[in-house]
Amino acid sequence: MTQTRSKVTRRNFFKAGSIIVGGIAVASALTPFDGVLFATERPKGKGEWYGIGIDINKCIGCGKCANACKLENNVPKDPFYFRSWVEQYTIKNDGTILVESPNGGIDGFKQSVPDADIFKSFFVPKMCNHCAKSPCVQVCPVGATFETPEGIVLVDENYCIGCRYCVQACPYGCRFINPEKGTAEKCTLCIHRLEKGKNPACFEMCPTEARIYGDLNDPDSKINYFLKNHTCMVIKPNLNTGSKLFYNALSPEVR
Amino acid sequence: MPQHIKRLVSAFAVVIILFLVMQQVLTPASFGKLGHYRADAIPENEMKTLHYAGSAVCTNCHEEMQTDKALGFHAQLQCEACHGPGLKHALYADKFKDKELPDSLKLHKPDQRKDCALCHEINAARIKIVFDTINNTMIHQVNTLKHNPVNKRTNEKVICIDCHNPHQP
Repeated sequence: MTQTRSKVTRRNFFKAGSIIVGGIAVASALTPFDGVLFATERPKGKGEWYGIGIDINKCIGCGKCANACKLENNVPKDPFYFRSWVEQYTIKNDGTILVESPNGGIDGFKQSVPDADIFKSFFVPKMCNHCAKSPCVQVCPVGATFETPEGIVLVDENYCIGCRYCVQACPYGCRFINPEKGTAEKCTLCIHRLEKGKNPACFEMCPTEARIYGDLNDPDSKINYFLKNHTCMVIKPNLNTGSKLFYNALSPEVR
Repeated sequence: MPQHIKRLVSAFAVVIILFLVMQQVLTPASFGKLGHYRADAIPENEMKTLHYAGSAVCTNCHEEMQTDKALGFHAQLQCEACHGPGLKHALYADKFKDKELPDSLKLHKPDQRKDCALCHEINAARIKIVFDTINNTMIHQVNTLKHNPVNKRTNEKVICIDCHNPHQP
């Protein structure tokens, strides 16, 4: 058996290798990963670009948002189809974390852990993050899900083939397959209401104004006021999804 | 050019032309206008029917409720948060001014204990200040199972609104 030797000499191999590795190192040094909130990074286009703010300190867990979302958007009533829902996080004294969301919070919450065992408890309303670099948009094989110029991630019902890839890709669990239509479904930020000059249903029905939305491009908008006056954080910032749902007082236990 | 190469090239040409023709026929007209998606999907999403009217609409007819409510702790609570979506009611209830409203236009009357409990049931996560426009108050919490479940004189079950006015608590 004859061994065929590669024509690449050892010297050239190391040369090329070190150029590639060095190039990557230089490139990442020039544009390092920064933890700055995505809101500071303006989009290229002009006009409205929506962002959402949720104040966990104000949420009383009434579930009106989840209920309003279901009624406004004809979401199936079964307790596992939600576009918007509320979770109760309970951190116990022994360090375990309990997350509860009975029917998405629509029927109210019952405290399941006695006061004496609770270190801390709070509600976290969840919905689509309308990411600027959405994983769900990137994985769609047919271009049926997309980000509008206003920064709203939508599903094209007539084009979706129901492959469920986006359901898997969303790190926030904000998508599901509609059992009747067989297509992917998600929060639309009530674009049909926005277009008629009304607030999205969940924002409209919140009794404590725990959730607000606004134009990130407008320096005087509600959302920019919210971001400037609160210590905001997104869920799973390490995934670099460009999430535009900013939480005030978000605990690191939330995921 | 050898014969077999010629055949291959012509076969490839046919496939490529067929592909281009099919692409022209099958791609929706507005695909790629704004990005890798059908631009017509945006107006299609915008066409969906509304169900919630917004409280500004409610005050057109129920002004007295609004003025009552403005004095209480529920001032910033939206009407439809408790009464349910009311756009249909707002659009068509006018036609039944002297007659009985049909059931499809009637709004929800939340008179059960569980309706008030949605916000007011005691819960460790709920002890927080709600920035009310009138007072900075803690949200009022009760144990709905223990808080006067029955009338002690008549021994009948009691609902919250027997004692508390929901529009002006």
